[in-house]
Amino acid sequence: MRNMLREPVAIAGVGCSRFGDLLSTPGLKGLSLQELTATAVKEALDDAGLSGQDVDAVFAGNAMVHSSQVPGTYTQLAKWTGTQFKAGVHFEAQCSTTSVGAAMAAMAVAAGVYDVCLVYGLETTRTKVKGYSPYEREPISHQQTWLWTDMAVNQAYGVPQGYDIFSTYNGLVALGYCRKYGISIEDYDRGMFELCRTRRLHGSMNPKANVQETLEAKAASEGFSDPYDLWRSDQHNPFVAWPSRLMSLVTTADGASALVIARPGALRGAKAAPIGFKGFGICYSDLPWYGEDPTQWEFDRRACQAAMDMAGIKARDLGYLHTHDCSHISGLCTAEMIGYLKAGEGLTAAREGRLRFDGDRPMSTHGGRHAFGHAWGASAGSDIYEAALQMRGQAGRRQMPKRPEVAMIHTHGYAMISTAVVLGAI
Amino acid sequence: MSNEETRPSAIRWYYEGLKEGVFRAMRCSTCGQLTFPPTGCCEHCGSWSVEGAEISGEGTLLFATHNIAPACHPRFEAIAPYVYGHIRLKEGNIVQAIVLGVEAVPDQLHALFKRGPVPVKAETLTMQDLPVLAFRLAG
Repeated sequence: MRNMLREPVAIAGVGCSRFGDLLSTPGLKGLSLQELTATAVKEALDDAGLSGQDVDAVFAGNAMVHSSQVPGTYTQLAKWTGTQFKAGVHFEAQCSTTSVGAAMAAMAVAAGVYDVCLVYGLETTRTKVKGYSPYEREPISHQQTWLWTDMAVNQAYGVPQGYDIFSTYNGLVALGYCRKYGISIEDYDRGMFELCRTRRLHGSMNPKANVQETLEAKAASEGFSDPYDLWRSDQHNPFVAWPSRLMSLVTTADGASALVIARPGALRGAKAAPIGFKGFGICYSDLPWYGEDPTQWEFDRRACQAAMDMAGIKARDLGYLHTHDCSHISGLCTAEMIGYLKAGEGLTAAREGRLRFDGDRPMSTHGGRHAFGHAWGASAGSDIYEAALQMRGQAGRRQMPKRPEVAMIHTHGYAMISTAVVLGAI
Repeated sequence: MSNEETRPSAIRWYYEGLKEGVFRAMRCSTCGQLTFPPTGCCEHCGSWSVEGAEISGEGTLLFATHNIAPACHPRFEAIAPYVYGHIRLKEGNIVQAIVLGVEAVPDQLHALFKRGPVPVKAETLTMQDLPVLAFRLAG
């Protein structure tokens, strides 16, 4: 494997809807799936100074056909995005969908096939079409969402025999981490509290986040003077997979994201300087996701190493990192494996505020999967969107004091498609 | 009489084994390692040359947590929350499965965590529509 892009590739435009609920979230309420997607696509195309007719090819993805009911997505959305008569493909890589789409587009550009590609992802994990209506929607229960989502997990043996995402992704990893590094369950709980506090702080400064309420504000509204008392309340924050609690997890969302991937020489009229798409890595695995040590995930190591090798960088070069944080403890393990954090020190880093937007090891400044929310096939694009904003200095109140020159975005596509993307200067 | 060969599914073969209390796997003729649960290809070296085998059912529970309630899958609604564990088989493979013999409450799981790895033995847990693999604390 040569693991190289033969020609430079740029991210010329980024777009992202607010993440939330199409039935209730301000800015989203009343939108159709078509309009939700068009919101993100329009922002990305405007950012790049292009129209849909300037695009050569479209890479359109979503994960759950049960709720995001537009099979042949790019054809059904062609007239909503101005991309009629273009080349394209509809694909899915679950929660890595938009990163895999970006990688496919980068390969197409680097190979000289296309000059400008549009990548978009869309998903509704909170709402679905009501009956046969073309515009009315209804809520999806959490149980239904996970039943459908788990269709992406081992259907021969894992799911039929009691596989549970919260156990496998959270509880068992947490216990492995505590035993490996000699951390008490009490210290683990405190570290998770601090990490949630950071993610919610970021969400509170992001007008597109699903959850914009700080943990402190939530505690006050629930009558707690100390937010840690809220955290330890079984009523407000129950164990979902002991010792992992509810607020260490993803929050579901409806959302869409879009990227314009292009040959730098083909660009004109972009609002901001294009960002270099420097490298990517993809590696997948079936269950079990780890061996004896639940903190070491081989497919993550391979994907991240491939991306860094392609980009010609080391962990010390990273100024910003997002790791997939459906599970907060898993996200820390990935950051430690990459070398962004020292092994066994992720919880301490969270407690010391080092993972905040203004810390020395900033992570997931959009709020991550918990506060920004998670719209499966659209989320990787939201992570790249945030990295691009930080690199351009456009992240508003949550802007990192020092703009990152090199950023890496890692995602888990259920289950599991590990993807890493490295962004830098062209 | 049809001359078409019937090719049995490894998945069906596995669950039929569970019904009888037998834990079926595949052994690779090329590298000698076990694939458990069984597939038609060695998970270690990719060889297609595999043949049926059984595992002992003996193992070590490394970690145990619990699932969410209500369960994500309707099959398990009646028993949720249940304990779910990370297990190393005597044969070396890693398996995750329902664990019996401990309750899905923090105190008991914490005590189990403090004990460290403990021996477990495989058994069949009969759900309404399917026999499934489970491990019970031994001793």
